[in-house]
Amino acid sequence: MQQPVPERLQISPFLVLYLIMSMQIGIGVLGYQRIIAQAAGFDAWMSVLGAGLSIHIIVWMIYKICQTVEGDIVAANVYVFGKKFGHLISTVFIVYLLIFALAVLRTFIEVIQVWMFPEINAFLYSFVFLLLSVYIIFGGFRTVTGIAFFCIVLPSYLLLTFSFALKYAEFRNLLPLFDHSIKEMLTSAYNMSLTYLGFEIPIFFYPFIKDAPKSQKWAHLGVFLTTIIYTALAIVTFSYFSEAYLAKSIWATLEMWKIVTMPFVERFEYIGIANWNLVILPNICIALWGASMILKRAYKLKQRKGVIIMALICLAAIPFFDTRLKINLLNDWTAKIGFAVTYGYIPFLFFATMIAKKVKNK
Amino acid sequence: MKLSKISLILAAVFALTGCVEKEIIDDVNIEMGVGYDVSEEGEKIEGTVMIPIFNPDKNIGNFTFSATAESNRDLIQEVQRKSAQPLVTGSLEIAIFGEKIARKGLRQFIDAYERDASIGARIYFAVADDKAKEILNGTYGNRGNAVHLSQLIKHNTESRNLPVTNMHLFLFNLYQEGKDPYLPILKKVEPEIVDIVGIAIFKDEKMVEELPPDKMFFFKLLTDKFSEGSFNLELEGEKVSIKDLNSKHKMKVTKRNPHKVTVEIKIEGLVREYTGKTLSPDVVKKIEKELEAIVNKETTAMIKDFQEKGIDPIGFGQFIKTKTRGFDFKRWEDEYKNLTVDVKTNVVITEVGIVE
Repeated sequence: MQQPVPERLQISPFLVLYLIMSMQIGIGVLGYQRIIAQAAGFDAWMSVLGAGLSIHIIVWMIYKICQTVEGDIVAANVYVFGKKFGHLISTVFIVYLLIFALAVLRTFIEVIQVWMFPEINAFLYSFVFLLLSVYIIFGGFRTVTGIAFFCIVLPSYLLLTFSFALKYAEFRNLLPLFDHSIKEMLTSAYNMSLTYLGFEIPIFFYPFIKDAPKSQKWAHLGVFLTTIIYTALAIVTFSYFSEAYLAKSIWATLEMWKIVTMPFVERFEYIGIANWNLVILPNICIALWGASMILKRAYKLKQRKGVIIMALICLAAIPFFDTRLKINLLNDWTAKIGFAVTYGYIPFLFFATMIAKKVKNK
Repeated sequence: MKLSKISLILAAVFALTGCVEKEIIDDVNIEMGVGYDVSEEGEKIEGTVMIPIFNPDKNIGNFTFSATAESNRDLIQEVQRKSAQPLVTGSLEIAIFGEKIARKGLRQFIDAYERDASIGARIYFAVADDKAKEILNGTYGNRGNAVHLSQLIKHNTESRNLPVTNMHLFLFNLYQEGKDPYLPILKKVEPEIVDIVGIAIFKDEKMVEELPPDKMFFFKLLTDKFSEGSFNLELEGEKVSIKDLNSKHKMKVTKRNPHKVTVEIKIEGLVREYTGKTLSPDVVKKIEKELEAIVNKETTAMIKDFQEKGIDPIGFGQFIKTKTRGFDFKRWEDEYKNLTVDVKTNVVITEVGIVE
């Protein structure tokens, strides 16, 4: 059990919905359609739905773990493994969050470079972006939550823009259903990892939720809404592209904006991508906040210092990822690590906690 | 403390503005139309780039650059070298391919259009009869050539007999297995007039077939989800002009091995012109029957013709694929020849105008 967080620093339970959604929706959504269609073709939208539903089990486990240990991931690790080994495992989570932030930031800059300004300086852009993130995190967890709230609400109008693609939608493309094997569907679901990542964050800020058990339903609702958005977007994409066409489109979501025309704007991608800054801002804020929080809890490092160190590491790593290939590799690894953490370690931690609880009670 | 942080962010933001290439609208050449032809010597490609010139008297003039090169990539280099200001592709309206180029294959040209993020998906592709350069070199309308040509295509797809077309649809059909793409054919008929003289049908990336303008109405009925168009027919020596307001088609697989597909076409239209004396309900019935017969006959003949040539712009292969699990496109190539298509048309004349 950890020291309770004072109430003035806590957030209302319903805000967990925005935190989870804003963390899940980031850069994966810009181009997941091609990756999932590689294995299961145009049946992959069912994999999206299936993967989304399976997340609810993990979310349920996370809440069970946190309720049992009455604390966050650091508390859970200590509860199960003891202090030394527990902190060591918590360090892995710092690395995970850092890589997550790095992947999001670098991929977004890649999008800017490919779609808008090929000559933009990745380092300078990251510097400004991280500076803003650090500034937000200095405001405390409540500020981070506020940003997450606005960064879901403000860009939500972007969903409407995909209706332009509906005019060219050929829903027959999706037929015949179930034309792929179970194995191919599962591969597709696994390939959704990067896009779905972010639902695990309650394990980092659980003590900061007022009346935490009440927030569980909001967490589930958040995951459910994301699942619906992803599934609907996958269906629209699959009906808008033919299969070989989609196989070539790295950023299918952005490519659907190429068909949008409005009287006042010739090309909508520019507005969309500029708006996407807002979508990825909470991704980075929450990740850096989580990393510095673990640093503080496990190594007694002041959070302000921790955030700056984390941001600097991120910034220093940016120049190393300078080609599409390397950025792709970074994304692949983020997906792999994220999958291992959420579908591997969390269930393990869940059972370990349950056993530890039984043993301790005796 | 706080103020200094904000000023730091502001300073960084201002410093960043110098980091990207500026494209000021007065200092660039806006590429609005492009044409590709086979050069005189035969081996090389002749490219033509059209830019608008905004005159002080509000007229929009046209200026074209031409260059000859081995490949599309070299072409851009050549043209850029001749241009005093950088050429930008962001507001491209139309790309025209000479017929010889289209028959050789479009893939090497299309790649640049797919890859360039600044090109919209709504630009038009067209085939020129016979040289693209000729078309781009004229002067049409008062809004500049590119806008004129794109509006010509747009208007004809929206209410006349040209099937809906743009770059996205071309790519969609090109990459769709069991369906072949098609493009409109443009021809400069008079110094100031460009006409749509048919539809070029492709096999994969190569143009193989030309559909004459009088068949376009039937073609559109089969390809577009909802279509509008117009058609003239003769009934007992009197001429009738019909405007098709809303037509739909529906396909059904009615038999397998060998496959049989039934196409149900539903046309709702009105009579625009009739040279006979009175247009009584009886005559309207006759017109409906006559049009049904013509549509059935023409579409069936057209599909037969496509089958013989091994092209499938209507997408029967794709359609049957969506109805079959584990569909094999390799076998389909033979099976397509044995496909029977049954066309059933239902015409409803809703209005006859304000006189009988």
